[in-house]
Amino acid sequence: MSLERWQEVSGIFKLAIELEGEAREAYLAKACAHDESMRDEVSRLISSHEKASADNFIGTPPYAEPNSSDAEGRRLAIGQHLGRYQVTEHLGTGGMGEVYLATDSSLDRLVALKILSGDLAHDKRRMQRFQQEGRMVSSLNQPNILTIFEFGEIDSLHFLATEYVDGKTLRQYLREKRLRLSEVLDISLQICAALEAAHEARIVHRDIKPENVMIRHRDHIVKVLDFGLAKGTEPASVTHATDSEVATQFKTAAGIILGTVNYMSPEQAQGHRVDERTDLWSTGVVIYEMVTGQVPFSGRTNSHTIVQILENEPVPLTQAAKSPVPEELQRIVSKALTKSPDERYQSAKDLLIDLRKLRKQLDVETELKRSIAPSLTERSSTTTSNIAAEATIETAPSSQKVKIVKLGILCGVVALLVVGLWALNQRRLTPRPSNAPSPATTELALIYSVTVQKYRDNKPFDPPFQLAKEMLFESDYQIRLNISSQQSGFLYVLNEGPHEKDQPADFVVLFPSPTSNGGSALVSESQPIQIPEKSWIKFDKDKGTEKVWLVFAPNAVPQLEPIRSYASPKTRGLITDAGLRDNVQQFFRSKAAAKPSVEESVERKETRILSRNDVLVHFIDLEHQ
Amino acid sequence: MHQTPPEQHEITELLAKWSGGNQTALDELYPLVYEELRRLARSYMKREPKGHTLQTTALINEAYVRMVDQKNVRWQNRNHFFAISAQMMRRILVDHARRYLHKKRGGGAIKVSLDEAMIVAAERSEEVLMLDEALNNLARMDQRRCQVVELRYFAGLNNQEIGDVLHISENTVMRDWNLARAWLYRQLGG
Repeated sequence: MSLERWQEVSGIFKLAIELEGEAREAYLAKACAHDESMRDEVSRLISSHEKASADNFIGTPPYAEPNSSDAEGRRLAIGQHLGRYQVTEHLGTGGMGEVYLATDSSLDRLVALKILSGDLAHDKRRMQRFQQEGRMVSSLNQPNILTIFEFGEIDSLHFLATEYVDGKTLRQYLREKRLRLSEVLDISLQICAALEAAHEARIVHRDIKPENVMIRHRDHIVKVLDFGLAKGTEPASVTHATDSEVATQFKTAAGIILGTVNYMSPEQAQGHRVDERTDLWSTGVVIYEMVTGQVPFSGRTNSHTIVQILENEPVPLTQAAKSPVPEELQRIVSKALTKSPDERYQSAKDLLIDLRKLRKQLDVETELKRSIAPSLTERSSTTTSNIAAEATIETAPSSQKVKIVKLGILCGVVALLVVGLWALNQRRLTPRPSNAPSPATTELALIYSVTVQKYRDNKPFDPPFQLAKEMLFESDYQIRLNISSQQSGFLYVLNEGPHEKDQPADFVVLFPSPTSNGGSALVSESQPIQIPEKSWIKFDKDKGTEKVWLVFAPNAVPQLEPIRSYASPKTRGLITDAGLRDNVQQFFRSKAAAKPSVEESVERKETRILSRNDVLVHFIDLEHQ
Repeated sequence: MHQTPPEQHEITELLAKWSGGNQTALDELYPLVYEELRRLARSYMKREPKGHTLQTTALINEAYVRMVDQKNVRWQNRNHFFAISAQMMRRILVDHARRYLHKKRGGGAIKVSLDEAMIVAAERSEEVLMLDEALNNLARMDQRRCQVVELRYFAGLNNQEIGDVLHISENTVMRDWNLARAWLYRQLGG
């Protein structure tokens, strides 16, 4: 066919196939009016077009399925044994191969078995490096790093046995729901904690992304997976490296690039040498995605995305997010997403510190909003200063009479208890992301109960009875707190009187007390503490809400140590120094958001408080009728 | 502090030269791109579990990212790279298909070693070779429509991407594809 002829045929064909039935016939008749052979030519082409369409001719690429004659294509069967492991479930397909849940029969524990694909498994050098890094990072025993138990090879099948995490990947989380800011911070902090430990050991993750972050159901602990797996993304020296080196690099790179480039740092996307700071960039991308639901850099193709990464600034977090985002978080993410590694965060620790500060600040704000409301609306007419002036703590005189501690304070009031627990840091739902001991071993429980004695006309009325926790008190009730813990620690108990929102509160020190525990704040494990000892807290006649703060920590709490000097009959427990009073108030506000968990046992008539923070802080609102 | 590897500069420069009309640059580019794609494809075939097929676009993207200095390249050059890559993927597949059929005809056991992982599906080897020939004929009359087929069938690009590479609209891509496919179908005896 001549070129001109082809042009004509294609021109007519093009229009004809967009028409149907009679319209097409009419068009063909007209277009090929004087050329029967042209009409035949076009008609045959149209008929081929229709058949080719129906046959899906060349509609799919002719590529073979990947070669899987090797072990990596092999699927393990449920129930199958692999050495001492017995496969119980197929968990999924990871970037490097299939993952199974298995039982380690020798230790009777569950493990995750990751079958390593042939590519990695056959590259001795890379496998060695991976094993070495895997062992090293695992030996850090950082709670946010997935523990590797064993690298194994059985029947030419290379596998990895790791700690089994019953949870979801961050990717799954992100698909299912929008995260709250506090969750974003918790997860970010834990990722940073894992990175901090790994980086200290000079191990760079290189592939931080939501797929490599797991969140355990039970306690929301974050586990970062696959340290060391993504090794080898340095630039490929196409012409100079030995063949095997090149192959290694490309294979590794293929694993990443064929997946996603969205989390890559600029230096990584260009194939340059990377260091710890690449992980901080990727963490920034992950935070951005957690907050906004989208990655900061994306394009139609990987190359478009890479150009975005190299050249564009992302839409600011504060604009991309659907709900308000603190400016400080915007600043943190921008700093993590700075193109030049030299201007970025320089260490995971720096990023960690900024995130922690932010969380602390948000906790304080939350508590401010929450704590002020209730006590204000129910204010009694008693002023703070009056209350303070009337506060008394009477120590027991020599007589055996029931001693009464009279908190003349307020009206209603009082009581309390507390106890504490102790734990890791300021976090409520999730454990601390640093190198602190794991929560399972350090969580403390503090137990308290309230003994109530009804009084009539200053005389006991009915025998005392015990309650698990606070109740609505009548004006002639007197109470005593019973506190104990299975751990030893420092206990502080203070009463905060009702006060106006913008006014400072008055605080009365209930414990430590010169008449109790030898005046010491340190209580031994299982030592029963009565507050007040052999005495009672008496309610005032006026109405109001009293707060009793319970603080418990394994070490002395520096912010509260100065209160001891006011725990004397002379001051009747009232903290009269305005500076100290403000410090104490500030301390409670900053701690209040990190609420411990509270379990009440009706049967045992006691309440157990559990906290994973470094200081257990719990308050009891006592409303007096 | 980081240096772009010289190969990236080299390839970026070759692309630029070729865009500027230098044919020798293209001759130098072909083997580099060919080798790179072949390596990536083999690696992919060995790594992926069964049931996946090669995502050629991703592969070419990867080759591009690895080979070309992203900061100093113009979009035009990327399009050229894709055009070259599509041709190279075609050549890789044709080579594989030919080798496979040769072995088969030779009567020897067809044993594909790990190293020689097959990229093209055995049962489609004939199709690939015949299509290759037919495409050569088509190219003599109509280079652009041949390219559309190359980009779609061998490189796995979608119509929008093909339009970008060839500077034509998506509609035109669709029409070109319909025409070329119908013509090829007839050539292959359909």
